[in-house]
Amino acid sequence: MKYKLNLFIALLLLLLVGAASASERRIEFTEFTLDNGLHVILHEDNTTPNIVVNIMYHVGAKNEYRDRTGFAHFFEHLMFEGSENIGRGEFSEIVEMSGGSLNAYTSFDVTNYFVMLPSNQLELGLWLESERLLHPVIDSIGIATQKDVVTEEMKQTRDNQPYGRILTETIKRAFTVHPYQSDILGKDEHIRNATPDDIRSFHDMYYVPDNAVLVITGDIDIDETKELVSLYFGDIPSGSLPIRRPDVVEPPRTQEFRDTVFDKIQLPALIQAYHIPAQGTEDYYAVQMLGTLLSQGQSSRLYRRLVVEEQSALVVQAMPLGLEDPGLNLVLSIANMGVDLPTIEASINAELDRVRNELITEEEFQKLRNQIESRMVNNNTTIASRAMSLANYHTIYGDASLINTEIERYMAVTREDIKAAAQNYMREDNRVVLFYLPEAQ
Amino acid sequence: MKKLILSLLSILVVFAASAQLDRSQRPEPGPAPVIQLGEFESFELENGLKVIVVENRQVPVVSFQLTLDIDPVMEGDATGYVSMAGSLLREGTTNRSKQEIDEAIDFIGGSLSTFSTGMFASSLTRHKESLLDLMSDVLLNPSFPESELERLVNQNISGLATTRNDASAMAANLSRALAYGPDHPYGEITTEESLENITREQIVQYYENHFKPNVAYLVIVGDIDVAEAREVANRFFGQWQPGEVPSRSFPTPTAPEGNRVAFANRAGAVQSVVMVTHPLVLTPGHPDAIKVSVMNSILGAGGFSGRLLQNLREDKGYTYGAYSNISTDRLVSRFMARTEVRNEVTDSTVTEILNEMRRMVHEPVDERSLQLIQNFLTGNFARSLESPRTMANFALNIERYGLPEDYYATYLEKLNAVTIEDVQEMAAKYLKPENAIIVVAGNRDEVAETLIPFSATGEVEFFDPFARPVEDIALRPAPQGYTAETVIEKYIEAIGGRENLENMQDMKTDMTASAMGMQFQMTNYQKAPHYSLQKMKMGEMVMQQVLFDGEKVVIASQMGRQEFTEGEEFEQMKMQSVMNMELKYKEFGFEKQLLGIESIDGQDAFKVEVVSPGGVKSYDYYALETGFKIKSISTESQSTYSEYKNVDGFFLPHKVVTEAGPQLIQMTINSVEINTGIDTEVFTIN
Repeated sequence: MKYKLNLFIALLLLLLVGAASASERRIEFTEFTLDNGLHVILHEDNTTPNIVVNIMYHVGAKNEYRDRTGFAHFFEHLMFEGSENIGRGEFSEIVEMSGGSLNAYTSFDVTNYFVMLPSNQLELGLWLESERLLHPVIDSIGIATQKDVVTEEMKQTRDNQPYGRILTETIKRAFTVHPYQSDILGKDEHIRNATPDDIRSFHDMYYVPDNAVLVITGDIDIDETKELVSLYFGDIPSGSLPIRRPDVVEPPRTQEFRDTVFDKIQLPALIQAYHIPAQGTEDYYAVQMLGTLLSQGQSSRLYRRLVVEEQSALVVQAMPLGLEDPGLNLVLSIANMGVDLPTIEASINAELDRVRNELITEEEFQKLRNQIESRMVNNNTTIASRAMSLANYHTIYGDASLINTEIERYMAVTREDIKAAAQNYMREDNRVVLFYLPEAQ
Repeated sequence: MKKLILSLLSILVVFAASAQLDRSQRPEPGPAPVIQLGEFESFELENGLKVIVVENRQVPVVSFQLTLDIDPVMEGDATGYVSMAGSLLREGTTNRSKQEIDEAIDFIGGSLSTFSTGMFASSLTRHKESLLDLMSDVLLNPSFPESELERLVNQNISGLATTRNDASAMAANLSRALAYGPDHPYGEITTEESLENITREQIVQYYENHFKPNVAYLVIVGDIDVAEAREVANRFFGQWQPGEVPSRSFPTPTAPEGNRVAFANRAGAVQSVVMVTHPLVLTPGHPDAIKVSVMNSILGAGGFSGRLLQNLREDKGYTYGAYSNISTDRLVSRFMARTEVRNEVTDSTVTEILNEMRRMVHEPVDERSLQLIQNFLTGNFARSLESPRTMANFALNIERYGLPEDYYATYLEKLNAVTIEDVQEMAAKYLKPENAIIVVAGNRDEVAETLIPFSATGEVEFFDPFARPVEDIALRPAPQGYTAETVIEKYIEAIGGRENLENMQDMKTDMTASAMGMQFQMTNYQKAPHYSLQKMKMGEMVMQQVLFDGEKVVIASQMGRQEFTEGEEFEQMKMQSVMNMELKYKEFGFEKQLLGIESIDGQDAFKVEVVSPGGVKSYDYYALETGFKIKSISTESQSTYSEYKNVDGFFLPHKVVTEAGPQLIQMTINSVEINTGIDTEVFTIN
């Protein structure tokens, strides 16, 4: 809700949500489903006297109507307004008065809320989250204020930020029919036009226990927590409306699409966006490892060539956007001063040719595996990150135990799989290319 | 049927549950949990390196952080070299090339970063031998390769270029430069020029003077016990030679007499970055430090409850975020409030920030706000202990700043002992709402004037993106005695003299043009009295030709061929085909007028309005100092001219940047041939 992120970090966060992890030490958890459909996951860790109450709703930007883009994120802001028993502005105050801290985020696929509290405030956390799920109260002052706040958020994090519109401009062209074509913040006028009716019906459809997973991690007693969860969430009625989810399938791209965008920047940027399979599919893991091969660390192929050897680029990054529906592998680069984009593009294409045509060496393959292992071990070291990962694995993959086992899927990828992924997905006719150029000042 | 049963069930559940739950009652907390600090061990090597160890077996990862405890350096015209020394440290050793270092660290999936005041390395436990081997090589045997320095300088120059469009970066530069001033190292700003002044010698000198074990701390955290930590510290860092390290002191910056307003322009910005800042002295561990953090959290750092956020976001909807910060530092630190707001509420935002600062000074806070922040900070403290790095930082601070051993063990007691009176006393002592620097980076045309009332002098000071003062771009009157004629005559003199120019018969120019991320070759032919031909090629392919032969304009491209013998384009080409038109303004009936002096990219220039016989208006800028034309603006485009060079006695701009609509065309002259007797035959298109 108040994350200020530049593009790269925002994209990385997306990845983190997707690519979360496992470690050598198993993360133990218990899960069950209440009669109203609310799925609950509990993970006990008594290292410090803190807890996290995390609730993830299976609704994101991709569930929006085309004339209401940005709505899921706008709604996330409204969820802090209050409930029948919590006055406007009190929600965060109650949390902070209780020694807690809170926030939320919206992605293309999910909306996630978390409250971090001292462990003696577990019941308070459950009361707060159940209140805004059961009966939030959103008045006209709150709506008007949050419309202004979100408009400023759009400017601050996207429109008034150098390179801030890269993702927006890319997905707009990459997806022709799938709702991933609109970014999470959406269009200013769509938010302006949102009515109290829109808000009510959005809550009625998506903010129901059978469309959510509640995860509690930290210094808890499992049995006591189970009882309290039933007490606070058991009486919340299930959804009565069939949940609207996009069923449209983006048709395979058959021809490269190229375009030029002007923005208030100094150095031109190049973006290639390749269509890739959905998060969690077999090929997805090969694409992830391909991304690591291309741009993780200074010895990676694109970094070495463009930034170190040719010195043509200031930045180069391959970022597979893992999404619930088929997503994109973005290859982004910002040119160094005096370098034109065709020069950079030729180098990137040459490196992609190489990985398509030659099997990577055993040594490079071992490096990739080490890098992935290290990344997985370093993820999920806090009770907050474990709560989000468990929620995400359950929501997107339907299997929270992947927090311990997803690494096996990476380790099952072979050198041949990586080459095949490059051949199948990193193809000229499967991409959108954007020249992102400085506009005149 | 199944559905019906399910919904029946849920009704039962509702009934059963609501019988025992009164939702209007906020749940009471259980007994407060005990917050326990972790443990650390420390020891010193023979060479003076102090080692701190925090063992934590949660994940199989170990990290090594090296911190130098040294005074900052005044860098002067090579500002940036100290930070460059930090970056260059990992780019080569006497044993390994940069490539070998990169490969080694990536192979183990580890990380190794170097800074001007230390380095950080981390990996899975099983790779720690390789990691330490690399780290100690980088620390003890750096080779500072010249070629890598050059690469990093170029890289940084490109990076700085992006600052020109980044209002946040501009405001950060400006607030830092003005809060600390030019006489303190904290106030020095890196520029393209200062980066170009960096030498390898400076960097080697910096390393040799400061990288000594006797001023260093090695903090080891993670999956390792103290015995093993001692063994590896000795093995990998024991041979590091101690030596004397210079100390330096600087005059302490002071807050301005009255409020200053400093502005950096970002053309076309729709939001302003607003910062209110001033220097202050608050050392780590000072008895005021905890009280000040409480005071500042109430003002603008307490999660969603900070007054700045509540006021500017939740009450007024001006912004997405608004925060304040007071750091501690052994020399000098500063207060900073920061937000980003839409243009039209920029001045109201400054009013609100100053008022919130004044309210802290003049009114006692209510008990509830104080309690909330104490609870919030207590919770944050407890949560921070989840990371073993927190304990390691506590240990480092205790050693480094000479804090009492129980400083952090008693932190919560001290935090919860802070009173309403303390808060107001701290606000009065450390907040300076009448002696602040108000920094705004944003849209000059829409915002700058509205800020005048905040300035004690009634002036808004303007700066470039790197905090160098610039004149406001407003027009100033030209000195007495100057007219459009004298300015143009001076220009004619500067580019070769009237007589010389009148003898120019023809000219062929070869140029490289880049636009839309692509490169073109252009060749221009001109011949008196009115012939011109422009050929544009991409590689070997001719993309477009534009001809004027006195009677008609011909435009030929792959799209086809067009001819004009009248109309706007014809008139325009007719004028453009005259060489050195300035010589013939009178003859052709141009009207011209000197408007005044403007600053163009830091150069003062005369602004001359020129109206063609057809009524087309344009503005030309002639540099005061050189007489050269440096810029020309018309309704559809604007061009800047630079790099004037002597070609056979004529001075011609070798770089021309033209902006038309959203397009930017950059032209560089590769060669010019003058008076070679170009045949009139050339001016045809088949």
